[in-house]
Amino acid sequence: MSSINGADIKKVVVACDAGMGSSVLLTSQMSSSLSPHGVTVEHASVDRIPADADLVLCHSSLVSRARSTRPGTVVVGFQMFMGDPAFARVEQAVRAGETIDD
Amino acid sequence: MTTELRIGPEAVWLGRTARDKAEAVDLCGRLLLRLGAVHPAYLPAMHERERSVSTYIGEGVAIPHGTDAARTLVERTALAFVQFPQGVDWGAGNRAVIGIGIAAHGDEHTGVLAALARVLSDPAKAERLRGAEDAATVVELLAPVGAEPSP
Repeated sequence: MSSINGADIKKVVVACDAGMGSSVLLTSQMSSSLSPHGVTVEHASVDRIPADADLVLCHSSLVSRARSTRPGTVVVGFQMFMGDPAFARVEQAVRAGETIDD
Repeated sequence: MTTELRIGPEAVWLGRTARDKAEAVDLCGRLLLRLGAVHPAYLPAMHERERSVSTYIGEGVAIPHGTDAARTLVERTALAFVQFPQGVDWGAGNRAVIGIGIAAHGDEHTGVLAALARVLSDPAKAERLRGAEDAATVVELLAPVGAEPSP
């Protein structure tokens, strides 16, 4: 289990299998809510998550692959591409400087 | 920076029917082929991707695309909009009325997907997109939203 304080999150990476579909869509949505807090949001294939990612968001079926790519980095899984509570959880942690763990 | 992609009327097929998800994914792939966006071998990769994780994103929309390995089969970045007014069973109790096939090299399609996300979060606009009766409506609704500047 890993954890990070929302205030220390500078880069969120949204990962999906190919890095060309759902992660691109989600990146645009997360970016509009997180960039005002100085957080960069990028998308990537789950096998190529950049080393400087502070937090990774990916579909729950890809969480174990994301963890093996970036052990020690907080990986938050979601089930739904739109309106999943995981997105609000990440936003809340960043906005309020709260600890978020996986 | 790459040139921003737009969906043009040539990338819109309305009023199609598909018996099942596989046929719907195929239609999205065939439109990508016709647009000269992919090598024919990209289509099997779209089915492979669909078997690992469904590309259904909600609000009656699925975004079928290939695997990371299939990126080499992409000739140019393109999106292919296919409407199935009768809906297609996309598994897990989901019914898709729109399939948007994606073939991407880079991030040129970010603006269109951002527009899609915005449309789908507005129930009235989402309904307009699902019920579009002409390509112009689709083109207008999915006009790219200004992408966030890259660092």
